[in-house]
Amino acid sequence: MRIVIAEDAAIMRDGLAAILASRGHDVVAAVGDPDALLGAVTEHQPDVAVIDVRMPPTHTDEGLHAAAAIRRDFPGTGVLVFSQYIEAHAAASLLSAAPAGVGYLLKDRVADVSDFIDALTRVADGGTVLDPEVVARLLAAGRHRDALAELTPRERDVLALLAQGRSNAAIAATLFISPKVVEKHVASIFDKLGLAPSDNDNRRVLAAIRYLAT
Amino acid sequence: MTAYPGRVPQQAYAWARGHPVMADGLLGLVLLACSTDQLRISPVTTALAAATVNALLALAVALRRRATVAAFGMVAVLGLAQAVFGFRAYGGAAVPALQPTMTDAAIVVLLAALAARRPRRESLAGLALCLVGSGIAIYGWAFARSSAGLLLLAVVALSATFTAAWVLGDSAALRRARYLSLEERLASAERTADLARTRAQAVEESAARLRRIERDLHDGAQVRLTALAMTLGEIKETVSGQAAPAGVLALASQAHQTAKDTLAELRDLARGIHPPALDRGLDPALHALTETSGMPVSLDIVIAARPSPAIEAIVYFSAAELLANATKHAGASRVTITVRSTGQGGVRLTVADDGAGGALVTDGGGLAGLRERVGTVDGHMCIDSPAGGPTIVTIDLPGHA
Repeated sequence: MRIVIAEDAAIMRDGLAAILASRGHDVVAAVGDPDALLGAVTEHQPDVAVIDVRMPPTHTDEGLHAAAAIRRDFPGTGVLVFSQYIEAHAAASLLSAAPAGVGYLLKDRVADVSDFIDALTRVADGGTVLDPEVVARLLAAGRHRDALAELTPRERDVLALLAQGRSNAAIAATLFISPKVVEKHVASIFDKLGLAPSDNDNRRVLAAIRYLAT
Repeated sequence: MTAYPGRVPQQAYAWARGHPVMADGLLGLVLLACSTDQLRISPVTTALAAATVNALLALAVALRRRATVAAFGMVAVLGLAQAVFGFRAYGGAAVPALQPTMTDAAIVVLLAALAARRPRRESLAGLALCLVGSGIAIYGWAFARSSAGLLLLAVVALSATFTAAWVLGDSAALRRARYLSLEERLASAERTADLARTRAQAVEESAARLRRIERDLHDGAQVRLTALAMTLGEIKETVSGQAAPAGVLALASQAHQTAKDTLAELRDLARGIHPPALDRGLDPALHALTETSGMPVSLDIVIAARPSPAIEAIVYFSAAELLANATKHAGASRVTITVRSTGQGGVRLTVADDGAGGALVTDGGGLAGLRERVGTVDGHMCIDSPAGGPTIVTIDLPGHA
């Protein structure tokens, strides 16, 4: 993968670049602010950009705006936003602005390097990645409480993984069940929640997220 | 500065207040000048004696504010001596050196000073003394002239003069007391305003400091710890694929897990110090807050202008405390948080839940802490929580500390 990193803390930026490089990825640029990020994306047209939410000048949500702008102007570049704090609200609005090729993760997730690179790959491939914590909050927020109460515990597990952006195969591997059983659960979930069924993994993910967030 | 005629008397008064003996000494000199004709009395020794009496009267005037009672005592003694010996009252010869002069106006001045500066008890005694003295003087004077009409006139004139002097001094004392109390009240009002200003400064500064601490944690410890956790994660994954020495993988895993746990703890700590979402305003911050409550919260925020950071922090932490109360203690199933602008740029936070009610402010409890925090900016908290619910807590805050 060709990757651009935007993170204002040098130690984090360099560490991430080194690890990604050691895993055989091509970090074409590592920058520290939104303007440099947009410049680097324009120049390199990478597969994916890893973006810290808090960047200069105000250190609030510059990264979110930059990510939305990149998704709008560079369809070939996925964006993975990572944040020191989870804001499900912000994640949901980022996803509703740009539904595919988008990820939102808690910054801590970089500690599990392989999982993080896996998420990065999914985003680069046009998939969607949502932090488990965001999904947990959306599930607990109380929207659609009655409909969600009708799901079996297993179906809730499947829905949570689905909303994190996992494919059927990945869900099957995580829950130690066969892809066929996952398929059955997904069909049942979509039926109970009144969502239109779909064969496309990513479209199902989006449907699930949109359902939980609105 | 341009000359401003209205300031001249003010400055003169200020000077007179600042230099009482000098100012009163000038008045004494003027009075002394009124009796210079005494110097023409012969022989010279008598003239000198008369001049001494008048000089003592003038000196008493000079000291009227420095040593009021002593100066009054001196003029009283001199005046009584004049009243008794200055006239041919009892058939004997009048003592020339003790004949009254214009300088005796000093007695009037001293009576007024006594009334203005001493307790009423003392000044009334002084007035009585003056009236008695003037009675004696008039008796001696009338004895010499034996005129009933002049006698009456003299009685009226002298007693009226002394009484007027006393009234003048006494009213000056009242005015001064009133002025002092006004000054005191003004000073206390100024002190109050000063305290309010410094307190507001302290509250805003402390909010800014907390924000800085969170920022420092984010840029410093949290970043380093994340980088450390990432490196440990990389070590763990590298080791797990190889024939590493026994126990290394377990140690790496343990270190990796500890780093991640510490990171989570540090994040909670930093958020408790200052939620970073608050930098973008109450709307995103309260949204982020309600996300973690795990129950349906409806949020309704309509504010015209952002309050100061300290006020925003109080609104946020109040909402957090009340939300936690509704979840933990009241067993509520729904919470409504409303934030509205009020007059003069203030905000009103209302948190309503459908829980069990019966919320009480107890010493050391969460609500007491909340009330204290709200009080630091002169805000008000109103709790309506009948047993059985619902609970509605309303907090009114100014736009800034």
